[in-house]
Amino acid sequence: MNKTAISLLSLISIFFSIICSSLFADKSDDTLVIAFKREITNLDYHYGTKTEYLILADMIDDSLFYVENDNLSYVPSLASDYKVVNDVTLDVNLKKGVKFHDGAEMTADDVVYTYNFIIKNDKNRRHTKLASWLKNIEKTGPYSVRFNLKEPYANLYNDLYRIKIRKNGIMGTEGNWDDNAQANSLIGVGPYKVVSFDPGVEVVLERNEEYFDGPKGKPAIKNMIVRSIPDMGTQQAELMSGGIHWMYNVKKDVGESMAKNDRINYQLGPSLRIGFLVLDAAGFTGDGHPITDVRVRRALNHAINRESIAKNLIGGPANVVHTACNPVVFGCFQDVTKYEYNPEKAIALLTEAGYPSGFELELWSYRDKEAAQAIVSDLGKVGIKVNLKHGKLAGLNKARKERKIRAYFGTWGSSASPDTATISNIHWRDPSKGDRNLSGDPKVNELMIGAERTLNIDERKKLYAEGLKLIADQAYWVPLWSYSEGVLSSQDIVFNQDADGYPRVWGISWR
Amino acid sequence: MILKTFIKRLVPRVLEDDISLLSPKTVVLRKAISHSGFKFGLLLFISIILLGILGPFFLDISPYQQDLDKRLLPPVWIEGGSWDHLLGTDGNGRDYLSRILSGTRISLTIGIGAALVGMVIGVTLGVIAGYFGGWIDQFVNYILTCQLALPGLLLAMTLVFLIGPSIPVVIIVIGCLHWTLFLVVTRSVTKRIAKLDFVSASNAIGATKLQIIIQDILPGIINQIIVIFTLEVGVAILAEASLSFLGVGIQPPTPSWGLLIAEGKEAIFFQPWLIVLPGIALFLLVVSINMLGDGLRDIMDPKSKLE
Amino acid sequence: MVVIAVALTLSFITFFLLNVAIDPAQAVAGEEAEALEIEQVRQQYGFDRPILIRYFEWFKAVLTGDLGISYYWNKPVGSLLLERAPETITLALMSVMVTIFIAIPLGICAAINPNSVIDRMCLGVAVSFQAIPNFWLGLVMIIIFSVTFPIFPVSGDKTYFHFILPSIVLGASSVPPVMRLMRTGLLDVMEADYIRTARSNGFFGWKLILNHAMRNALLPVVSVLAVQLGHKFGGSVITESVFSINGLGRLALESILGADIPTVQILVFVFAFTFLILNLLADILNAYLDPRLR
Repeated sequence: MNKTAISLLSLISIFFSIICSSLFADKSDDTLVIAFKREITNLDYHYGTKTEYLILADMIDDSLFYVENDNLSYVPSLASDYKVVNDVTLDVNLKKGVKFHDGAEMTADDVVYTYNFIIKNDKNRRHTKLASWLKNIEKTGPYSVRFNLKEPYANLYNDLYRIKIRKNGIMGTEGNWDDNAQANSLIGVGPYKVVSFDPGVEVVLERNEEYFDGPKGKPAIKNMIVRSIPDMGTQQAELMSGGIHWMYNVKKDVGESMAKNDRINYQLGPSLRIGFLVLDAAGFTGDGHPITDVRVRRALNHAINRESIAKNLIGGPANVVHTACNPVVFGCFQDVTKYEYNPEKAIALLTEAGYPSGFELELWSYRDKEAAQAIVSDLGKVGIKVNLKHGKLAGLNKARKERKIRAYFGTWGSSASPDTATISNIHWRDPSKGDRNLSGDPKVNELMIGAERTLNIDERKKLYAEGLKLIADQAYWVPLWSYSEGVLSSQDIVFNQDADGYPRVWGISWR
Repeated sequence: MILKTFIKRLVPRVLEDDISLLSPKTVVLRKAISHSGFKFGLLLFISIILLGILGPFFLDISPYQQDLDKRLLPPVWIEGGSWDHLLGTDGNGRDYLSRILSGTRISLTIGIGAALVGMVIGVTLGVIAGYFGGWIDQFVNYILTCQLALPGLLLAMTLVFLIGPSIPVVIIVIGCLHWTLFLVVTRSVTKRIAKLDFVSASNAIGATKLQIIIQDILPGIINQIIVIFTLEVGVAILAEASLSFLGVGIQPPTPSWGLLIAEGKEAIFFQPWLIVLPGIALFLLVVSINMLGDGLRDIMDPKSKLE
Repeated sequence: MVVIAVALTLSFITFFLLNVAIDPAQAVAGEEAEALEIEQVRQQYGFDRPILIRYFEWFKAVLTGDLGISYYWNKPVGSLLLERAPETITLALMSVMVTIFIAIPLGICAAINPNSVIDRMCLGVAVSFQAIPNFWLGLVMIIIFSVTFPIFPVSGDKTYFHFILPSIVLGASSVPPVMRLMRTGLLDVMEADYIRTARSNGFFGWKLILNHAMRNALLPVVSVLAVQLGHKFGGSVITESVFSINGLGRLALESILGADIPTVQILVFVFAFTFLILNLLADILNAYLDPRLR
């Protein structure tokens, strides 16, 4: 009786393991499976700023420019060459012979159409905002276009990288745009074509055999499946059992433990993402709170043991930052006031400001719960009783819009853009145009946004230097640390991590 | 044994051999002593309470005190563990024993609080429906159907999302979603009592409706309510853990068990004790409460016999 | 009639709550949207009008079969439902099967030998299952059966094999009530006169239990199982997210976190409606099984 049961059971399990193993794609059929935590619900990149969408867009789409991974600089991609005619005019020549996934050749008409779709789409302000600097675009030849800018704009190439080229007519016509035309099946010019798409579940991609010779290089792997697995534990298990080959955003502890398995590699490289506390110095949430006092804000800067948190919780190349930008990006001037970890000094500053026994503070956060709790603990040591409100980003955004947030723990990944403009543009806007600038200091806005309004590199550097000095001196933020990017991959594949931490998965090859 | 001698001292008559001599109250006590499930549950419950409430006073490590150099230490029985941290430390280097122990208080506060809220709602509606009957009863029945058909967890998530998570909000939301049992039982018992002679008698001598409800009906349903209350405490504790696990319950760094399990989830394959230990604590507490509740039901049931 | 009224009330409550909890205009405009952009969306979609009017419009559309378009998934809600429902139905049915296979034999064992060691053990199992949080059981099952002993796949919903662990987890939570009911039901029936007569006439054992007692004891069990099945549809949120099953539960969770009002709205409606219909079916089935009600 017992014997039969056992043999039956083992038979069943063998049977099922055969079924299951046949489900796993691998090297033998040239299929790579990667996992994202976030669900992909829309193939068309113009809707999101989230890294997963950026990666996907870079696989199926292409744009005029691209961030080259070695020097983190903008290089032409669909553009063959370009010429800055003057401060507000840019001429771009296009590569010839670039084919869309349906076989049609890309010409100046497609580029002009794409940018018109972006800037003339009044119904969708997210689009018009993407290229708010653009007055108009002209076709100057079958393979050349001219951009006429409204005003000088320094972060131009970043936007030219973000805007993916759409085929002429595919998004509708002026006055009758269809934003969702490419949401579920997409015709791009990128290194991979979409075979099928199941929103929130997976995107199946196939190599574009006619991909042009661009800075991304030709992909080595034929089939790629992007699966959405929201649970990191499930992702790990899938990686161990061979169900996926690659996952990212893996924390140090998990990565190091996983790497004890011979079949799994862990890489913990640098990232452009930095963490920071934004403080309501202006008193938008009501006057008279202690953090409107600069001494209190400086005390906060002294109170957090950033080095210990960066080293122990984040690990890898993570390091303390003193500026409101990642030190490796353009314009991130470093010679600013630095607040070292010194709880006594923090207490002294609090006492001087009239809060010897501290005060209560509500701190919002949405990412990196461990670090948030470490901050709470450090602030508690100098008497600041922090009420942590850790939740989803949507809730934080809503509360911030309603001016209910006195302090929040934010992070910014800069979307693989190596320029201070990308982080400062959204964080130091005029308070009437954005709710993240809580400094209440018009001078900061003038300097930081002013640095985007000129193409002169020295002038930009000078403005950023002044602005960043002012931010540090007035302690409008508590800059925390730079993050690191952890990637787990199967031993079967070769994945190279880049200096900006942006995972260029189309470069993966079999070992 | 200890319990027996203790009770013998306190109420000597309980252990009287001739059962017929016992008063109703002592019968209940006598049943309690001989009900092994009840005794076990009570013992477990009391030990958990003692550990959870007195434990933190004896431990000199605060559940919030972190040491980032000593992160993710394993419990003492696993290689690499030490006696300094009996159950190891969590991702922020906080003592896990201390966090689990102080989690008891949070679970109990929420469990009891939510069950109280549920009781107030359920009993009020039940008494009203049972006493007045007619269209009021039908209306209450309608509310009951609505409540039963609602996907509770989804609604709880939405509500907590709406108001913003904090202990009082979680208590009220869970309480507002767990009152159906109270209602059903209260209503049927009230209906039965309301028909009895002594209630009609009170009515005849001019007692107000409120007086009748308080003086005649409530005492009659109290036994059942106690039983349901106990069981609902267990249900509410699990509900809180689920909410916190999904990230819409108690806020960190407060050591709610559901939150501890959620935080340990990423390390499920390498530091499984981060999940297993709070899970066991949760399990033991709820088991003890359920056994207590089941025991109470048997003991208070007048039909159950005493040998 | 009552079913429809209840479903209506619930849909209104959810509509109201969701529209207060989440600014629909912000949800459409996206997380990074500016104030001006949100205002534009609000006017464009008519979110600035009174909530009652919007509710009636929504309801009218639903009646004509237009369930709305999800902002988050960029799809008609109807097709989302059709895509996701099979997984949840599979999970719910399989988990009810698990419940039946565990709870009914245990209940019978306990009832045959009341107050014996077996009875106590069955009761112990019931009490334990009741106290184990679902999500924890799921995680522990993954640790044991997918990692330590890699028998079952960790996650996904490609084959029925993938559904085994999740249905055990989901099914386990309904074991206690069903088992208890089976036990007390059987005990009551066995005390009944006709069984006693049968017993005194020498009928004893399984045949008796299966032929006579079970039929009557199953009556309340059927209605509880229907209620449990209804709960499973709405309660699969945690199980589906732990095991990455793309069913309605996970859709609901993601839609709530994504502030996707149209989807959450329809889902609550569907869950409530399913629950009510199942209850109705249970009543009908009961009437059919119970000769006294026929």
